[in-house]
This record gives sequence, C-alpha cells and structure tokens, in this order.
Amino acid sequence: MSEFRRQHWAAAVDRLFMILRQNFITFLIVVFVGTQEPGEGYLLYILIGTIMLALLGGILGWFRFQYRVIEEELQIKKGVFVRKNIFMSKDRIQVIDITEGLVQRVFGLVKVEVKTAGGGTESATINAITFEEAEELKKNLRSNKAKSALIEDVEETAESEFLDEWNISTKELVIAAFTSGNFGLIASILGALSGQLDSVINEESIEYAKEALPGLNDVTFIITVVIIILVVSWAFSFLGVIFSYSDFSLKKTEKELLIRSGLIEKKHITIPFNRIQAIRFVEGILRQPLGHGMLYVESAGFELNQKERSIVLVPFIAKKRLKLFFDRFLTDFHIPELDVKPPERSFFRYLRRPNYLLIIATPLAWYFWEWGWLLAFLVIPATVIGLFRFKDAGLYIDPEMMALRFRNLNRKTAFIKRKRVQVIDERTNPFQERKQLASLTVTAASGAKGIALNITDLEKSDTSRIRKWMLTGNTQIPRDDG
Amino acid sequence: MNHIPVNRIDKKAIKAWRLNAFIFGLFWFAPAGVYILVTLNQGSFNTAIFLLFIVPALTVYLLTGFVYPKIRWQRWRYEVNEDAIDLYRGFIFKTRTVVPINRIQHVDTSQGPIYRKYSLSSVKVSTAATTHEIPALDDEMAADVRNKISQLVRQVKEDV
Repeated sequence: MSEFRRQHWAAAVDRLFMILRQNFITFLIVVFVGTQEPGEGYLLYILIGTIMLALLGGILGWFRFQYRVIEEELQIKKGVFVRKNIFMSKDRIQVIDITEGLVQRVFGLVKVEVKTAGGGTESATINAITFEEAEELKKNLRSNKAKSALIEDVEETAESEFLDEWNISTKELVIAAFTSGNFGLIASILGALSGQLDSVINEESIEYAKEALPGLNDVTFIITVVIIILVVSWAFSFLGVIFSYSDFSLKKTEKELLIRSGLIEKKHITIPFNRIQAIRFVEGILRQPLGHGMLYVESAGFELNQKERSIVLVPFIAKKRLKLFFDRFLTDFHIPELDVKPPERSFFRYLRRPNYLLIIATPLAWYFWEWGWLLAFLVIPATVIGLFRFKDAGLYIDPEMMALRFRNLNRKTAFIKRKRVQVIDERTNPFQERKQLASLTVTAASGAKGIALNITDLEKSDTSRIRKWMLTGNTQIPRDDG
Repeated sequence: MNHIPVNRIDKKAIKAWRLNAFIFGLFWFAPAGVYILVTLNQGSFNTAIFLLFIVPALTVYLLTGFVYPKIRWQRWRYEVNEDAIDLYRGFIFKTRTVVPINRIQHVDTSQGPIYRKYSLSSVKVSTAATTHEIPALDDEMAADVRNKISQLVRQVKEDV
C-alpha cells in the first residue's frame, strides 16, 4: 500500500454524472431557452460539447487522482489545474464511510470517504474502488491505531470478527416509515416551493380546479391544498425511510460499529468506539405513543455543508429494548434514572415559555386577517407542550458519563461521556436570577461543529455543580468552595 | 471554582466598540437621515412615522454607540487557569462558558482594522465543537494569554 494507486476508471464516469447533476438546472435552462427558437441545431452541439468537456475533465481528474497509505498517513494527490496534496494523519481520522452510489453499483465498486475532526482539514473522498480495496484501505488506516495500547498482536486476529448483530424487521421498518415525523419539514419545503410554482398555481388554474371539482369554495380549497401537501410530503418521507433504511444491519466488532443500510444507494458506515462523541435517542411525536424512537450516534468529522453529523445507529427501536441494546452494543454507556429535575418553581416558567411567541403573533395576525384572533387558541397546545417539556426535562451525572433529556416537539435523550463534553454554558436572565434558576447548554462534538443540548430553568446550584463535574468528575459540590 | 472570573478585558475596548458601532450604525442611520431630509424638502414630513420609527431607531443607534460598549466592557470577565477557560459576560442575559483545557484544539489571536488602530487583539479558542472568543485584549496581553493557553494545552494533551 506504499505505492501510489489510481482509482477504477469508473471514477471518471462518476465525476461526469456529478458534473451533470450539479449543472442540471443550467442544462434545463439551456434546453428551454434553446427550444424557444425553432430550427436551430447548435443547441445539440453545445450539449454534446459540454458533456464531452465534462467527460474529459472526469478522465483527467481520474488520471491525476492518486492515493496511498504510507507510514502514519493517507496521502492523496489530485486536481487538474489546481493541484492538491492532502496528507491526513491516521490518528486524526474519525470516521470512514463506504457508500455504493448508482454509478458505483453499476461497476460493482464503492466510494470511500475519510473524515477527520473539525478545523480546517478537508475530508478525503475516493470515488471508485473495489470493495476489497476499500476494506484493505480501511484496515491500513485503522492499523497502528492502537500502538499506544499494550497488546497489538491479539487484536490483529480479533479485529474483523463480528461479535454481535442487530437488525430491524420489515414490520418495524414499515411502522418507522409510517411514523416518520419529517413531514413538517417537508411541508415547509413544499410551501417554499409553491412560491416558486406561481406559474403553475395561479388564478386561472385555481378557477379551473374549482370548475373541475364542484363544491369547492375558498376555505375548502385551502383545506384541500393543505391536505394534499401533507399527504404528498408524508408519502415522500415514507419512501425516504424505506429507501434509506431497507436492508439495515448493525454489526459489532472488537473496536467498531459497522452500519449498513439503503435500498438503491447502499451506505456502509464505520464508527470506532473510541470516536463516539454522544448517543441520542429521539422519540418523535408519532413514535413516542408507540413506545419507539430512533437512535443516533454523534461523531466528529469535517463536513462542508453540514452543521451536525448525526449518524442513524438504529432507525427504529423500542424504548424497552434500549437497555438490552446498550448492554450488547454500547457497553460504555448505561441508561440511568434522570434524578436532577427542574424545581417546582420553574413549572409556570415552562408553561409560559412556548406562549411568548403567541403574545406577539396573535395581535399581528388579528391586525392583518379578520380571523387572526383564532391564533389565540394555540395557547392550549402551547401550554400542553410546556407541560410535557417540564415533565420530560431531566438530567443525570456520574463520574464517567451524563444523560440528559429534553423536549422541543420530539423527546430527546442524550448520553455523553464526561470526557466528550466540549463546553458547558450557563445562562441566566434577570427573572431566572431572581428565582435562582439557570439554563444549561452542554455541547458535544458532532460533524464540523457541535450539537448543543439544552435544559432550561434548572436549579442554579445544579448547573454550577455540573460545570464542576465536567472538570473534575465530582458529582457533589465540594464543601469549602464558593 | 465557584467564584466568578476576575480578569477584565482592556478598557480601550470601549473606544474600539464605540467606533465600530458608529461606523456600522451608519447603515441604519443613513435611511433615517435621508427620510428626514427628503420629507422636509417635500413638505410631507410625517410626525407619526418620525416618532414611531425614526426616533426609536436613532435612540437605538445612540445607545449602541454610547452606552452599550461601556456596559459590555463592564460585564466581560475571563479567567484562564490550568483546568479551564472561564468566560462570563452579558448585560441582561448573562452567560458563563467553561471550556476545559484538554478539549481545546487550537488557539489563535486575530485583529481587525479597528482593533489595530487601538492595538487590540482577540484570542480565539477552538474545541472540536465550538469556537470561543475573548475580545479586545491589549496586543501583548493577547499574545501572553494565547501562549499561556497553548502551553497549558500541551501539558494536558489528550486525544479528541
């Protein structure tokens, strides 16, 4: 592995497709504009020319791209015009992802992404090599990792052996897809899109729809549109879950967790145990009543467009099986009783907090729309959310780890080792100060940035106790201090 | 460990922040000024708009320029010791941030044009997750703090 190697030539094809995909909109525009003027043949030449150029670029890129693992480094040379050398030291590597995209699957190849922790360095992507090469590369990058650990030869043999495996059944997958609470997000995307679709949705087509479907007035029309958007986005998120998590399996080796999932694009993700930053259990509002949730693992890694990097560890798991799962796969963690709670006197603060927005929104809505005052009825769900937030908020610390639970809409429980807590913030506003309360933010590394976990209105003595715990591991306040 | 951090940032910060607020505040101030001039010229000066929007805007501008930098300076405290970097700041919403030394990945100082004028620098501390800033220290002081932090980090270095 000390010689420089090239990828499979399919990398050029992959690159071609990537360029085409990135410039898809431009192509559409060119095609649309081009077809406005009839009888001109040059459009075809432009298209073919561009594709040829992209292919040439792909081939040159493939030719220039060379990689090797030498001593303690992954070295990559690449770039056609701007030549780049990426040297990545082994012990900085956090995560190695193996993905089979469409192009890769056609050629029976995989894509490998190697990621280091945040701060400046780029992630290295090798786009097309065989699975065996990828495995070998991975082994090379992971080896010597334990130089500082005592026994090396014992691990050599045990390393790639699967010790345990976790799967989800088809039934679980389907329920997971049904309850994927993503449609709020997708509805908002569709809402934004509908702004773009002005040319399709206008007076004329609305009139047409009304004529075609008798019995629609303005109100029922709006309701119908909303229902259609919800159904469509729900269908999308249903399919999304099926595509992403079909064929899911989680395997455990001596040092790593291996996740495989995906129907069309297969993903293989490797997470070494010593790179786990935090574990999160998220119970969606549709899933919590069924006693299920999704389990995430946070790991550090440079990700250009992403703030966080949460990897789905198990897409659907029963809450009551969580303990079993932790015992088998995450032996470093355990599931404790959350004994630090916000005090009684923050109860009404929790109830009020979700309502603050309404105080501003309701008069505004009333001013602009005749029925705007109806917004005031949102006080009821907002207060209920506040109630649940108060009930769910909680925290636990011991010398090794912490667990904390909070709710926005979904209930989230996070488990972090003390050594992985990056920063703790305590915030107080004047009202909290008067009542000796403080809000706590615990930040764990995730992706290039971090993931912030908030609990509001805790006892102030508890937040300062946790600050000290982060530094010392003591769970009690030392007497002679402060 | 429970005591609030003691060190203040450099007093020149007030001047630097004032200058900064006035320069960037101009972007807010300019439309208001133009509005007053134009409407006075046209004789269409609207007292309601003046009172509702322009007066509050100008007040905010003057407050951020004159009053806020001083309060901000007064409320900024920091401390660097062998365990952690402790930052305490905020006027109405007070925030205390504690960054353990062994989580720090790198530390550097930086200086913009306004800080340069007053020979001030900021010290920036990055962990695997976040970046934190001690603003407006005197150049030498900033270098000292940076060196102290990086020395402490080297002493306790652990992996991420």
